[in-house]
Amino acid sequence: MLWNGPPRGLSLLAILAIAGCAGNGAGLDQNGQPIGSEASGSNGPLTADLQSIQDNVFTPICTRCHIGASAPEGLRLDAADSYNLLVGVPSAEVPSLLRVMPGDPDESYLVLKLQGSAGIVGGQMPLGGPYLPQSAIDAIRQWITNGAPNPATMGASASRESVRAFSIVGTAPLDGAHVSAPLKQIVVAFNHEIDASLVNETNIALERIDLAATTAMQTVPIDAALATGNPTVIVIQPRAALAPGSYRVSVRGTGGGALADVDATALESDHAFAFAVEAAP
Amino acid sequence: MRVRQFRAALGSLVIPLLLLACPAHAEPYLAVETGLKCGQCHVNPTGGGLRTAFGDAFAQGVMPQHHLDTGADTWVGEINRFLSVGGDLRFDGQYQTVPGSASVDSFALEQARIYLDATVIPNRLAAYVDEQVAPGGALNREAYAMYWSASHEWYLKAGQLYLPFGLRLQDQTAFIQTTSGISMTTPDQGVEVGWEHKAWDAQFAVSNGTAAGPEVDHGKQYSGQLIYVEPQWRLGLGMNVNDAAVGSKNAVALFGGLKTGPIAWLAQAELVDDKSIPDDGGRMLATLLEANWLLARGNNLKITSEFLDPDRNVAHNEQTRWSLVYELTPIQFLQLRAGVRYSDGIPQDDSEHVRLYFVEVHGFF
Repeated sequence: MLWNGPPRGLSLLAILAIAGCAGNGAGLDQNGQPIGSEASGSNGPLTADLQSIQDNVFTPICTRCHIGASAPEGLRLDAADSYNLLVGVPSAEVPSLLRVMPGDPDESYLVLKLQGSAGIVGGQMPLGGPYLPQSAIDAIRQWITNGAPNPATMGASASRESVRAFSIVGTAPLDGAHVSAPLKQIVVAFNHEIDASLVNETNIALERIDLAATTAMQTVPIDAALATGNPTVIVIQPRAALAPGSYRVSVRGTGGGALADVDATALESDHAFAFAVEAAP
Repeated sequence: MRVRQFRAALGSLVIPLLLLACPAHAEPYLAVETGLKCGQCHVNPTGGGLRTAFGDAFAQGVMPQHHLDTGADTWVGEINRFLSVGGDLRFDGQYQTVPGSASVDSFALEQARIYLDATVIPNRLAAYVDEQVAPGGALNREAYAMYWSASHEWYLKAGQLYLPFGLRLQDQTAFIQTTSGISMTTPDQGVEVGWEHKAWDAQFAVSNGTAAGPEVDHGKQYSGQLIYVEPQWRLGLGMNVNDAAVGSKNAVALFGGLKTGPIAWLAQAELVDDKSIPDDGGRMLATLLEANWLLARGNNLKITSEFLDPDRNVAHNEQTRWSLVYELTPIQFLQLRAGVRYSDGIPQDDSEHVRLYFVEVHGFF
């Protein structure tokens, strides 16, 4: 005879008891970090600056999923990565929109996803709710309207990020990526504010290449400039639509007049990344 | 003509047989309730998405409280002998409260999905697509080609696919889903090998580890599970290693199911170590225990308890979630769900204290 299990009422009571209790939060801050630890800090009220948004929204809510190697859409929203992966970076779901378009919250995919606006792909964020209160969305909108400044590159609040060597921290498309035409722009993100006078076709080049031979076949005319409101990002726009094929972006970091940050610190070496443009399906 | 004959055969033979079978309901506990493997009712051997002809017949003959007689016109999802379609639609009405925030009540189309399977060589080679078409723009969830061995014991899948790792729940926000980062919202591109032999079921996948985004480094993600299935119980072991430049993420899960009378139990415990989180703060534990009580045909009471330790190096930071959901399937292909979900965590964080009340219309075919 098959076992029919314990009495049903007892079974259902058991399930209520097994999960245990939530933590009482003793000795922890708002983000569940031990008070006094390096990771601890007072969140304070939510205001229209990245640090406050990080402490009140990204870290306690978004990083439940958007963290680490398996972060959805490759978007990591921990304190070390959120700015570089948001500001001036095309969204993975709607590549024609930047995740954060400095100065324009209505054209920022982050805001559209948080609002659940028409035109987004997939669900409103945070997935499954609770969705952010309008006051929180308004703070994020205001930060973007203000140009989406990064406190790590601003004066006295400069963090350890600013004392690192000047380097590339992200590109879109990513190195080795395959993207569908049309590709309207290429984004290169740095960890420091860039000297705008050095953003030119000598230091930033786009070439069509033969992947097998890794040789340049043709230099592609481009316009390169700092992203609107984000001086740590260079936006490269081909003057003509890129035909299907393989391309390489080169950033010159050595030699006279090489790309440098506003403190005249040049990149330690030349950098390049390649991607392929495929015909639209 | 053949299609009509096949449908008539299903209508006259399979459904009456299923009506005699032990009644059961949807999602992973369905497999526990019936003692069957996921691939019995789903085209995807690891579950979810398009239903097989058996699954469609099951949905009509066993799941509903009342079966509306459609005679020989029985839906089995087949456009012709090579092409099958299916879909899911979930529409919710919600009321949600969070301390310190205004309550929110809203209607929301949670998802509408379309499935298409082209079996170009019967029983051997198929191309499959799972596309979310709403809300918002189209979003591909799965798209792969799958080749079965002649014995139907082995298969090879290549494309964008859900990763094999533990219970594949409908609730994508369950702790065991968000902690591992493996759910039906985070498919990945790669290849999967599957093996099905008697009571054993195993899958192993190698993928980019970017949740379907472009590859960003040379590291790969390895996911696998081994399950032993008996009619009354099953036990599985899952593993996942995502070797990424940002820091590797490793997870192991023990999961299973047990049938005790009218109650089908699901359980999973998983340990996760995410090296990308500083200060060794990525050592997590998540558990789920769920009872599905079949009160009467077409009436299921689902009680779920979840536990999360988001950082095992820190004390007093645990979170819990309780769900009580009533699922009524009045007629075939239509399910009505009503439930409450209580989340609790540390008193300092209001966002961990959510109260969600919802009703849902779930249509599927």
